[in-house]
Amino acid sequence: MSIAGDHKWRNPLFVWGGKSDVEELPTIPFHSHQEVWERTRQSATKLNPVGRLRYYYKWPGHGGTMWNRPRYWPTRRRVLRLRGEYNPKTLRAEKTIVDKRPIWWMLGLLALAIAPLFTPGDLQNTLLTAGATFGIYSAISLCWMLIMGTAGVFSLATYAVVGTAAFVTALLAVKFALPWWLLPPIGALVGLVFGGIIALPATRLDGFYYALLTLGLNELCRVYFVTSKEFGSANGGLYGARTYIPEDWSQLGQLLLAYYACFGLMLLALLLYRFVNGRRLGRILRMAPEKREAFAEATGVNFRQARVWVFLISSAALGFIGGFYTSNFGGVAFSIFNFDTVLLGLAMLVIGGVGRAEGAVVGTLIVVFFDQVLNTWGPARFMIIGLIMLLVVLYLRNGLFGIKAQFRAWRDKKKSERRSTRAEKGGEMLPEEATETDDKSVIYQRRHDKMTRDHLKTLVSPEIIEEHRHSLNGQHSEALERLLIYFRTRPQVEKYAIMAVERFEGYRIVALSGHRGVAPRVVEDRIYATPDGACHGVFMRRVQDLLES
Amino acid sequence: MDIWFIVSNTIVLACIYGTLAIGISITWSSLGLLNLAYGFIFALAGYGAWLFAQHVSTSGPAVLAAGILAGALGGVIICAIGFIPIHDKPNFTIRGLIATLAINLIGTQFLLWWFGPRSKSLPDIFGNWSVSLPGVVFTADKVGNVVTSVLILTVVLRWMQSSRRGLEIRAMMMNPHAASIVGIGVRRTSFYVMGITGGLAGLAAVLLSQTYYISPFGGLMPMIKGVSIALCGGLGSVRGAVIAAIVLGLNEALTGISIGGRYVLITQFVVIIVILLVRPRGIAGLLDKAREA
Repeated sequence: MSIAGDHKWRNPLFVWGGKSDVEELPTIPFHSHQEVWERTRQSATKLNPVGRLRYYYKWPGHGGTMWNRPRYWPTRRRVLRLRGEYNPKTLRAEKTIVDKRPIWWMLGLLALAIAPLFTPGDLQNTLLTAGATFGIYSAISLCWMLIMGTAGVFSLATYAVVGTAAFVTALLAVKFALPWWLLPPIGALVGLVFGGIIALPATRLDGFYYALLTLGLNELCRVYFVTSKEFGSANGGLYGARTYIPEDWSQLGQLLLAYYACFGLMLLALLLYRFVNGRRLGRILRMAPEKREAFAEATGVNFRQARVWVFLISSAALGFIGGFYTSNFGGVAFSIFNFDTVLLGLAMLVIGGVGRAEGAVVGTLIVVFFDQVLNTWGPARFMIIGLIMLLVVLYLRNGLFGIKAQFRAWRDKKKSERRSTRAEKGGEMLPEEATETDDKSVIYQRRHDKMTRDHLKTLVSPEIIEEHRHSLNGQHSEALERLLIYFRTRPQVEKYAIMAVERFEGYRIVALSGHRGVAPRVVEDRIYATPDGACHGVFMRRVQDLLES
Repeated sequence: MDIWFIVSNTIVLACIYGTLAIGISITWSSLGLLNLAYGFIFALAGYGAWLFAQHVSTSGPAVLAAGILAGALGGVIICAIGFIPIHDKPNFTIRGLIATLAINLIGTQFLLWWFGPRSKSLPDIFGNWSVSLPGVVFTADKVGNVVTSVLILTVVLRWMQSSRRGLEIRAMMMNPHAASIVGIGVRRTSFYVMGITGGLAGLAAVLLSQTYYISPFGGLMPMIKGVSIALCGGLGSVRGAVIAAIVLGLNEALTGISIGGRYVLITQFVVIIVILLVRPRGIAGLLDKAREA
């Protein structure tokens, strides 16, 4: 910190031509006010952009149409959640789409619906088969998501339910030559029974204890079906059921029919997900999240019953899908009970993010793409899927669709870290405060005030105090003059005053309240003998306040 | 098929699966990690022992040691990939479970890709002798399996009782939070734990390969049995695991005699479900306090 160069005091009254006035006098060294200014301007601190981003695009205008809201018949639910508001600055009428997910869903489903029109010719067979598989597997994933996300039961027996329903319906179809449309309802019944059996321990066991229990169920089913006389056969599965695909159609027609049927199955599963997760059962279970079950129970939420309901409903749906599986492929292979199938299914949920329908669908899309489209890669494609799953689980809190929330949490953490590193505040407004005040001039007032005080603090020295004690009035050195000017311009609140206890005998220092009718407050007990002494006392208090600020 | 054959088989299998189950139990109670990559460790240890037997030496103890070392290596790999990065992150239990499942998927597919789908067999570790007593025949592999697994388990448990590292592991089993406060490094201890439990899995792999072949997916069934025993005995309890191994072994023997080997898994699950319905924390709920999630 440099000291102002010549230590000269320039007499402001000299130009008026007073008799004894001198132009300049030597004075004690003091810091120039320019220094603080320079320091603030030359600050090497990285300046981060401050303020709130506009996360939502603001659509112009909301007239009378704003209030004309289309709803899904017969519910009162709106198709799109819009919010009408006025811009606080420009008073422009604006509307905001609060929840854009319906738009993304519509676009995505539309893309899936018209995708067969754009498949390249040489890949048509592979892609349409993969698309049909995607439809079935995403329906399974959605039902599994209901069990894992909504009900919070970490079950690994999903494919066991699907496979059992598929095998039983295939057996019945082969034995009794059942028509294809009977298979899904029968499958649903089988799934319901199976789900009822395995829901029994789910009421007692915690999440991952149940996971360990169900881990073996696939193996159990596989061993049972492979070794049993009725189901077991040499060709790795049970085939021969009637499918809904007519034999006399062209190959492309058959593929397209399968694709759209599986797409329809996925839509049904989405509808089920929405009706279970978004309505009463889902609400009940959202009230009883993990580790807060006791509280929910105490408030009268019967989450156990809701859990079992969700489990049974999704098991019946899984059985339905199993029946559909049989009537789609004409049978089912033992590989549906493979541990790798379970792992791939789990990868579908985990990659997308547990607890969201879009997570199930997109995760399934990714896994099915690697599994079916790149099926010439052999074991490498499973390794890639496993690697994606591993990376997602290691680095993402809740899959791909949790990235947004995780990024925001990370950004808020960084923000608050940066805020806490700025230990010195000094009356200046923090960026977060500043963005929220309407009167922006206050920011600059406070900043100027802080810079002034920073400078004045450097001026306080024993010499100045001594000077003030000696000569209360008249000309002062530059440093003292600056201090006194600052003190005089303080607002009325908490300003110090001198009260005469007894005239010419005793004076004491009080602080003005700043409010009419409220008496001044006594700040210290000391009684000064002279007004000059009291004046100096006020000066000392102010200096102290300044240094403490 | 006489009763003694089934009973002796059951004892052997109970010893081997019990070894795995104790590994799973120790991992869970000290680290809070449900390691479902045992299938991979198992197969890795089998292939490690096979490579050793192919290229270095076919002497029994050396192959056994190679298998144990390969298993320990697998455990350490899983610790480094699946435990260290996420052990202090939110939702660790479920994420750790999924991470180990992912490692299992990657690892077994890698083994399939590297070694091919044909299964391998190990040389006889315990020789080819047998001892006949009136009514019973002790074959070399059965005696060897039981003796080796009991011996190594005893050594490991004694080591955990008496050594400094064992004390650290036991402290983590009692209260991981308090253990970290008194200066027991979670990460360092996790490597010991995973190394030892991986070594136990490797031991089980080599012992089981005397009966079955080594294949990339051969570890699945032992893992499921081990997990079932650990779950039934109460996660985190060695005594519970031993009792559960005996109970499930008995069940296997009785099922095999009365209604046939096909139904072993079904009766096993019925038994486990009944036990868990009565005691949701397993048999150890009677014996000592199991770790809460």
